[in-house]
Amino acid sequence: MNISSVYLKSFITRSCGQRISACLFTTDVKENIEIPKRIHRGPTDILRALESTVKRDYTAAHYKYHDDPYLIPMSNLGKRTFAMAQEAGRKAAYWVRQENADLFQHQEADPMIKSFAPKIMYNESSEVTIQDLNEVIEKSYVFDAVTIYKLLKSKNVDVPAVAMQQLLELLCFYNHEEPLLEDFIEERWFKQSFKGKERQRKTWKDGDLAEEIFISFDNPNEEAYSAIIQGMAKYGQVDRSWQLFEEALSKNLLLSVDAYNSIIGVANFLKEAYDLRWTFVLDMLSMMAQAKVKPNLRTLNNVLKTLSTMGTSKIVKENALKTLAEFRAMNIEPSLASWYYILITFCKERGPVSPILKNIMNELEGKDLQIKDEKDTFFFVTAMDICHHHLHDLELANRVNNLLNLHNNYDLIGDSYKESIYYRHYITLLCKTETLEEFMQNTYLKLVPHIYVPEPSVMLEILKCVEANDAVEYIPRLWSDVIIFDHVNRENLINLVLNILVSSENAESATLAERFSTIAWDIWNKIENQNENKINKISFTGEMLGKIMTLLLKNDDFEKACIVMDKLQNDQTTVLGVSSFEALELFVNHCVKEKLPSKAISCIQYAVDSGFEDAANLAVTLNTSLTLDETHLSKLSVIVGPDVFK
Amino acid sequence: MFHIRNAIQMLGTRVPQNQRLIHTTSIYQKSQSGRYRITPKRDFPLTYEMANAPHYIMQRKSWNSWNTSNVLGGPRPSETAVEDMFIRKFVTGTWHSLFVSEIIIKRQHNLIRIAGIIRQAISARKMYFLIGYTEELLSFWLQCPVKLELQTVADKRDVIFKYI
Repeated sequence: MNISSVYLKSFITRSCGQRISACLFTTDVKENIEIPKRIHRGPTDILRALESTVKRDYTAAHYKYHDDPYLIPMSNLGKRTFAMAQEAGRKAAYWVRQENADLFQHQEADPMIKSFAPKIMYNESSEVTIQDLNEVIEKSYVFDAVTIYKLLKSKNVDVPAVAMQQLLELLCFYNHEEPLLEDFIEERWFKQSFKGKERQRKTWKDGDLAEEIFISFDNPNEEAYSAIIQGMAKYGQVDRSWQLFEEALSKNLLLSVDAYNSIIGVANFLKEAYDLRWTFVLDMLSMMAQAKVKPNLRTLNNVLKTLSTMGTSKIVKENALKTLAEFRAMNIEPSLASWYYILITFCKERGPVSPILKNIMNELEGKDLQIKDEKDTFFFVTAMDICHHHLHDLELANRVNNLLNLHNNYDLIGDSYKESIYYRHYITLLCKTETLEEFMQNTYLKLVPHIYVPEPSVMLEILKCVEANDAVEYIPRLWSDVIIFDHVNRENLINLVLNILVSSENAESATLAERFSTIAWDIWNKIENQNENKINKISFTGEMLGKIMTLLLKNDDFEKACIVMDKLQNDQTTVLGVSSFEALELFVNHCVKEKLPSKAISCIQYAVDSGFEDAANLAVTLNTSLTLDETHLSKLSVIVGPDVFK
Repeated sequence: MFHIRNAIQMLGTRVPQNQRLIHTTSIYQKSQSGRYRITPKRDFPLTYEMANAPHYIMQRKSWNSWNTSNVLGGPRPSETAVEDMFIRKFVTGTWHSLFVSEIIIKRQHNLIRIAGIIRQAISARKMYFLIGYTEELLSFWLQCPVKLELQTVADKRDVIFKYI
């Protein structure tokens, strides 16, 4: 490399070529050629390399949707229904296959691919063996495992201890419930996961098969104890789990590290007072040390989880940091879940502001993250929440967002619910801190609608921002989004849009006035043509109608304005409040322009009915600018009184 | 090129015909299959695919089945043909009167892609249900991944190329 670059230079600068070549011969360059070691590639490595060059396309919908205008979802509801409908179709196919299992026994591939064949059904009359039991346990078919176990028992077949233990573990892990099939990814994605802070309810099935199996052991060993302790702790049967834990200890059994972990994880149920809780955790840890059980990442996470439930005092935070340091010393690196617990310990809603997220980001930045704990998916949404509500830090939010979009870290966003909350915080924060132009160009136009569809509350924030900046040029796009995202039934959004349009000072240009009047007429149509049976109908207010009328008149849409005026006059019982006087004035002026005194008179009538004191002035203007005939004059004098024209 | 070949084939079919007095074998109907007869009112709609006669395959239009079964030494030719027929029957039945184009079946490795144009006669949600159902059931039956690649048109007249 070096030599060749020197050569290159010598070609370029011929004048000093000699000097350089002299240099070249005198320097004693020893090049050791190192042949790199062979890198072993997996079968999918090339595919992965190719895949890493493909970035998420912000202009297209997610690839699970069909690439066709009719089939691309635009609102949050659409995204959900379309994906779930497809999954429902797949489930229907599963059902058809299961109902006609005898027809689906053919084999196309050799060896047979088992997942294409229908599931084997077991009932009371099936012939079963121990091997069947092992097979269904391996596939985690909980119901089938129970059926087969009962069948074997009724036939007095001895189930070996290993299989019993595996069955017990299966039942404890799933709490006698059939897990959702792995193939149904959409259901998993759209399922509302229980929130992290929610208090756990007891769902453990008391006295069910798991306990029966446990009792049936003559002298339960440490594995059996570990399994049932973990199961009970996981599903909220805390007291009995603790009881069994003590029982196992009194028998001098060597419990697994997971059993210790789950007991530490439920410390907040076992001990009420904060200091007792902490001593309890410390006791547990020293017990582990005595039993020579090496703690792991889950131990760390469960200790931190317990700490996060212990209020806002300073000692808690110190303890959390000490725990981290101590586990670090044991070569246990914290996962995202650990950081999640640290965040919720340090950044309490009513506590002091803590900048710990910055330190965490310094630690995490640029890393390729892997999931190690089920709570890992809570990190990003919490971090963004803290950026938004706790720190109001735009830069930090961008750093979190960059980390999320690095490598395959987006897998850790969790599910659709967490994703939308994450973006809700991110977008609102950006909208409040960045300039509106930057926000619209770099974020809104990029992320909306394919990555994220703003909820009505976020839309309201954006519109408020537009109002503050008087940036009406964005309104046409935002309004069309409001319609597409199905937010038109939100009265506050409609009112805000109308407010912005009416009070805008940039609206003098003809093109904008025309677009605004289109929007106003759109709003009129949406509200006027609502479905009769709709539950949450929005009704017009006088103010709303006045604004619609103003916008229409600014674009000289006199006929449409007349329709709105008629509504104002005729439906005074259903329309709440009255229109503003400026709108009425504008209407009368346009009547004068169009030379339609009768319309103007009825408008003045409305103004008088609504109790505007300046209504008489309108009549005077009308009288001076148009020559009125007898009937009109007499009508006017009836309305505003004969004194006005003198 | 084509003219010459057609001329030779016509010779080959015509000459023996002229010599026979009684017609006993079915005539070679190459000039009829895949072609449509003009109707008296000239109101029979043709899609682009229908409007082009079979000899235009590879010239103006393409194949409806894409696979390597029919090349020399290709694997399982008969199975592929039967399966393609099954897929076409299944899809036309499942998407009842929705397809307005031919059903194109493309095979690559173990993947089967089924393409076509459908009418927007049912809601998008129902379409997604059918997509999920078709893909999954066909992949259970054919035991390989099956994908649908659909395009929609608002009106079935959008795909009409001409009336004859």
